[in-house]
Amino acid sequence: MIRYFINIITGAWSLIIGLMVTFKNTLRRGVTIQYPTQKLPMTDRFRGLVDLRAEKCIKCYQCAKICPTGCLSITHKETPEKKKELVTFKYNMELCCFCGFCDQICPTQAIYMSKIYEIATYDHEKLRIDLLDSEKYSEWLNPNVK
Amino acid sequence: MISVLTFIIMIIVGATVLGFIAVSAMFLIWWERKVSAHIQTRYGPMRVGWHGVLQSVADVVKLLLKEDIMPAGVDKWIWWFAPFFAVVPSVMVFVCVPFGNIFGITLIPADLNIGILYILAITSVCILGIFMAGWGSNNKYSLLGAMRSAAQMISYEIPLILSIITVVMFAGSLSMQKIVEAQSKLWFIFQPNLAIAFLIYLISALAETNRVPFDIPEAESELVAGFHTEYSGMKFAMFFLGEYTNLFIVSAIAATLFLGGWQGPFLPPVVWFLIKTYGIITLMMWFRWTFARVRVDQLMGFSWKVLTPISFANLAVAGWALLK
Amino acid sequence: MTKGIMETKINDNIHTEEFFVNLGPQHPSTHGVLYLEAKLDGEIIVDCATHIGYLHRSMEKIAENRTYTQFIPFTDRLDYVASMNNNLAYVMAVEKLMKTEITERAKYIRVIIAELNRVASHLVGIGTFVQDLGAFATPLFYAFREREKIVEIFDEVCGNRLTYNYMRAGGVQFDLPAGIDAKIKEFVGYMRTRTDELEGLFTKNVIFLARTKGIGVLPKDMAINYSVTGPNLRGSGVKWDLRKDEPYLVYDKFNFDVPTGDNGDAWDRYKVRIEEIRQSLRIIEQAIGGIPEGDPTVKVGRILRPEAGEAYFRAENPRGELGFYIVSDGSPYPCRLKIRGPSFSNLAVLTPLVKGVKVADLICILGSLDIVMGEIDR
Repeated sequence: MIRYFINIITGAWSLIIGLMVTFKNTLRRGVTIQYPTQKLPMTDRFRGLVDLRAEKCIKCYQCAKICPTGCLSITHKETPEKKKELVTFKYNMELCCFCGFCDQICPTQAIYMSKIYEIATYDHEKLRIDLLDSEKYSEWLNPNVK
Repeated sequence: MISVLTFIIMIIVGATVLGFIAVSAMFLIWWERKVSAHIQTRYGPMRVGWHGVLQSVADVVKLLLKEDIMPAGVDKWIWWFAPFFAVVPSVMVFVCVPFGNIFGITLIPADLNIGILYILAITSVCILGIFMAGWGSNNKYSLLGAMRSAAQMISYEIPLILSIITVVMFAGSLSMQKIVEAQSKLWFIFQPNLAIAFLIYLISALAETNRVPFDIPEAESELVAGFHTEYSGMKFAMFFLGEYTNLFIVSAIAATLFLGGWQGPFLPPVVWFLIKTYGIITLMMWFRWTFARVRVDQLMGFSWKVLTPISFANLAVAGWALLK
Repeated sequence: MTKGIMETKINDNIHTEEFFVNLGPQHPSTHGVLYLEAKLDGEIIVDCATHIGYLHRSMEKIAENRTYTQFIPFTDRLDYVASMNNNLAYVMAVEKLMKTEITERAKYIRVIIAELNRVASHLVGIGTFVQDLGAFATPLFYAFREREKIVEIFDEVCGNRLTYNYMRAGGVQFDLPAGIDAKIKEFVGYMRTRTDELEGLFTKNVIFLARTKGIGVLPKDMAINYSVTGPNLRGSGVKWDLRKDEPYLVYDKFNFDVPTGDNGDAWDRYKVRIEEIRQSLRIIEQAIGGIPEGDPTVKVGRILRPEAGEAYFRAENPRGELGFYIVSDGSPYPCRLKIRGPSFSNLAVLTPLVKGVKVADLICILGSLDIVMGEIDR
């Protein structure tokens, strides 16, 4: 008989402790931000979309070979002065897994990972681009780009 | 035959009460989202209107524009009328709720001298609506959900009624107006017997309105999907509205029976009534966002083995105390 | 359910039927795409068949066409909640195959990162478990709020928030950035108070106890026979933790306890996870205090070409033992790579455990086993 009442009182007390925890959290400031009017800055090492500084590329093809999913496809041609020149540098965003290998392996830092992360679109074609176009990221360019 | 003046007054009072219910339900939806957001250290609706006040309007417009799907194989008339049986009793109960007091005239649409008995009788009809929804849906999951809900609501009515009987014994009358007047010296919650009755009433009210920790009928993460699975659009909105109106009603009754109704210093009585009612509503929302759900058999066990004996014992002690 | 009126002779004349219920692949509470087919008799489950394979991505076959370094992003996506631990197990298997030694600083960094990820993974496990029980969103938000701090630390260290790709054969990808140890120390202090708060919300709560005490009791011998590992095994009372029994990296230098449970029910598994968070915080504190200077990577060459042979390495993941068995034939690509996922063996114990319990308890037991479908289906 006494057990019955003790159980009820300890049960009720445990519920009150739970309520106190929740109440304490009500007094804390919210941890969310109002996206898209407010955006958080990305860290230094953040791995966003791949981008290319075409003038630094030495056409060694290391980035295309190390990509685990094979999303980079590069072609080049020889100019009459025996210099290599890039013809296409295709990047398939649908296959890219944002691992950062291409950035790490490039000897001249020609290919690097930018800070673009808002890459939703309605059209498949916009996701398979050529990094030599100047209009490549015009759809999503935002202040986070370096 | 009633006179034309009485008829016009009836229409005006009825329209006011219905308008108040509609606004109150929409406000409650917004209030629930804000309370839940602040408990979870986030902000809730912030875009539509100042701090999201117009969010309920946007939701109602969305629900109105949704397609009203009727699945094949439902039991047509039962399925059609179930939402009405869930909402109309909650609205009918507003007849006996004392909203306030202006210059000595109580703002109560009709001061029946069996006030609280009328309220209890009518709220029991809500169970019928849920059961009709479950049966008419032709869906084994809905039927399971509806049966559980009906069992839950019926077994928690007994502690509810017993705690209200305790209040009626102290007040000496069933009329809501007289219960409020009996608390003019001291609110009922400060008397020890009635404090226990208040706790029992609060727990039973949570079970009556299908809120956590007793929200098995609406459990989303269990197998059965609940009695309102097959409803969409305006019918779903009616169930939703019925749930929030029910919440308002049980809180209003708690405020009237235990917290002194519309009495209080300085502020106008209507404001006091609303403060007390919304205080209890916030308390119930606080419970919802803190606790887990109980299992069906534990729920029944709790009602029959804990709440009912305690409320009987409380009633006996209260009767003995009053006889002295 | 106690033997009541439903089981007396009166009902033998009423024809009852068992019916099948599909807890289909898309469901809010199956922790991924898991298909459970339950045969119910009223409210009691008679049998439950588990159908997996909805997330199969043929990782083991893909591994045969990728070099050892190229496979590291794929290991991230096995147990996507504890991505650093998967990376760690894989690169240690590769290092065992190539017989390379790494620097002390790399070992300390790996231990700190792996333990931080263990805390994050247990937070997700506890949050989703309690959500399945009905405490609808609040504890999940609290757990994810604490996990956000860990994920921000990882964002500064390696640049990504879920699939880190941080470990390499021979060390780690980058050194820790400047100022990160102050952040980690602050996090350890913060997490200690928040763990106490999270415990206050559940551990003694009467509703939580009623839902989890005595539910899904996993006896010791059944756990060992079914190869259950991780907190599920420790909840049943078996004191087996690879960090203490077969120490790798520098775990033998730190003081920490291995929490075990008494009964093997869902409450014990939850309690073991909470205690493991505390022990991980102890390890992180000791490691950050004593991290040596040096180079975090050892030069191993761009294309790894281990000699022919085989190696098996197992690591203590938050969900159990993750094992990698690699067979190499001297070429840059592995000949065969087999992954032993801990959740696969943990899930096998679900069918015997749910016979005879109610439907609500099925969800509770599934939540307390804390599975991730990425490891099961690979």
